[in-house]
Amino acid sequence: MTSRRGRLGIAAAAILTAPVVVGVGYAVAGALGLVGPGASGRPSLDRTFLVLSESAVIEGTLWILWVAAASTLLAGVASMGIAVALRGTGRLDGLGRALAVLPLPVPHLVAAVAGLLVLGQSGFFARLAFQAGLIDGPSGMPALVYDPLGIGLIVALVWKEIPFLSLVAFSVLGTRGDALERTARGLGASGRDVLFRVTLPILWRGMLPAAVAVFTFVAGSYEAAVILAPSDPLPLPLLTWERFVDAGLDRRGDAYVLALLGLWIAALAVVAHEVVRAKLPSLEGAHQ
Amino acid sequence: MKGLPTGSRLLRPALVLALAAWTLLPLFVLVVVSFSGGWRFPSLLGADPGLNAWSTLREGSGRLLPALYTSLGLGVGTGALAALTGLPLGRALSDLRGGWRLLGAACAFLPVAAPPLALAVGLQFTFLRAGLGGSVLGVTLAHLIPALGYTSLFFLGVFSVFDRGIETEARRLGARSWQILARITMPLLRRPLAEAFVLGFLVSWAQVPLTLLVGQGRVRPLTVEVLSWVEAGQDPLAAAGAALLVLPPLLLMGAAAFAFRRAEVVAP
Repeated sequence: MTSRRGRLGIAAAAILTAPVVVGVGYAVAGALGLVGPGASGRPSLDRTFLVLSESAVIEGTLWILWVAAASTLLAGVASMGIAVALRGTGRLDGLGRALAVLPLPVPHLVAAVAGLLVLGQSGFFARLAFQAGLIDGPSGMPALVYDPLGIGLIVALVWKEIPFLSLVAFSVLGTRGDALERTARGLGASGRDVLFRVTLPILWRGMLPAAVAVFTFVAGSYEAAVILAPSDPLPLPLLTWERFVDAGLDRRGDAYVLALLGLWIAALAVVAHEVVRAKLPSLEGAHQ
Repeated sequence: MKGLPTGSRLLRPALVLALAAWTLLPLFVLVVVSFSGGWRFPSLLGADPGLNAWSTLREGSGRLLPALYTSLGLGVGTGALAALTGLPLGRALSDLRGGWRLLGAACAFLPVAAPPLALAVGLQFTFLRAGLGGSVLGVTLAHLIPALGYTSLFFLGVFSVFDRGIETEARRLGARSWQILARITMPLLRRPLAEAFVLGFLVSWAQVPLTLLVGQGRVRPLTVEVLSWVEAGQDPLAAAGAALLVLPPLLLMGAAAFAFRRAEVVAP
């Protein structure tokens, strides 16, 4: 790679990577106690082990992983259903597809605010239930936000992620689905068999990279969690923020460890995706 | 679609209705709350429905209008810089071959995949040392980090299928590099440039952690104000701010879709 064009390409890659390398490098140095608030100046893994063994950190990490997995799974399943049911060329199908992708440019913060106003104990649903005589007041409404299971956050994230995953599902069906499905039908497979043994496997394989992207985004997302998540357990992104702005300088250094944990989760999700993809038999040429 | 799995005649209208309710209800509630004078339980429309929070926009008072301008400034700045910088970076990446190309694409993917909060925690010190903390320029540059990842990947895709023969031909005919760039390449890439601008704008428009940590509370776009209004329990203002956060991206995407439907395809 010694040509001028090759060198320019490598320079471009270096420019794009530099801010991440600087950010991660500083976080690593901070986690080792070399820089940042409360730094001892001597490299040590003590803080890293201490922070990672805290029950608040373990619970907050597991909690955000649960929310990320549940919202990705629900949005993925819904998107597959929408893509299959509305794959036709009629007006109704077009309208349905447009509705499904409409929230695509809506920021996650807005989805969370809307979730709070709709699902909160004095929110829109609670008011409807009150008007219908189903509850006596806000306390009669089940807690769907700030709740330990994260139901409100999951619903808001599903609302926000369905458009992206649906768009991918429409694209996968439009480019990959048809030939294999027609072959299966031609070989005598029933509609149900085609759906479960051809269409849905094609869809979920095609949607896997997008689903991994959604999972990693949700696991590291701050803006939706800060509005809808409970304070116990405090999700990892909020815990990172809390430590970073803590009044006690000693605790601020913990945020570097937590930031690296967030980066590790994103990296592991990408690696897991690559491993799964490598193990899947290729569909290329299967219909030839 | 005959013979292929799809929705039945009964299922599809029901699904479209359910989708309409699912998609539009939260946005409808945002609008309703934004027009209320105070959204106290159990009223569905809230007290004194009217312009309320929105009147501060018309009067130019309060924090809503300055926040909107700040958001627009950050979005336009980030979108323009991300489009204009992403183009040469994406082009340079597309010149790589084999394993180098994979590596280049992975490098562009890094700032996209890294959680913004984790990135912000690591980068805040660097921005403060450079004197960029609490400034619009600093926040724009911080937003540019993920935005540039997106636009570089976007232009990597564009240049993977871009026919460079026309540039070679112009060079053979005696055109200088700047003439080729100004009269051939840029006009041909008008549409991808506009799309990259929208992409960069949207990344900045929705950005929260980088804004909070680099902006240090002194740069206050709509996202930051909406967060503070939610925390303060000022539902009508939070809803108005949130509704304002929805409008420009929807308009931009609608305008782009409308313009490009009418435009001829210039890049294969």
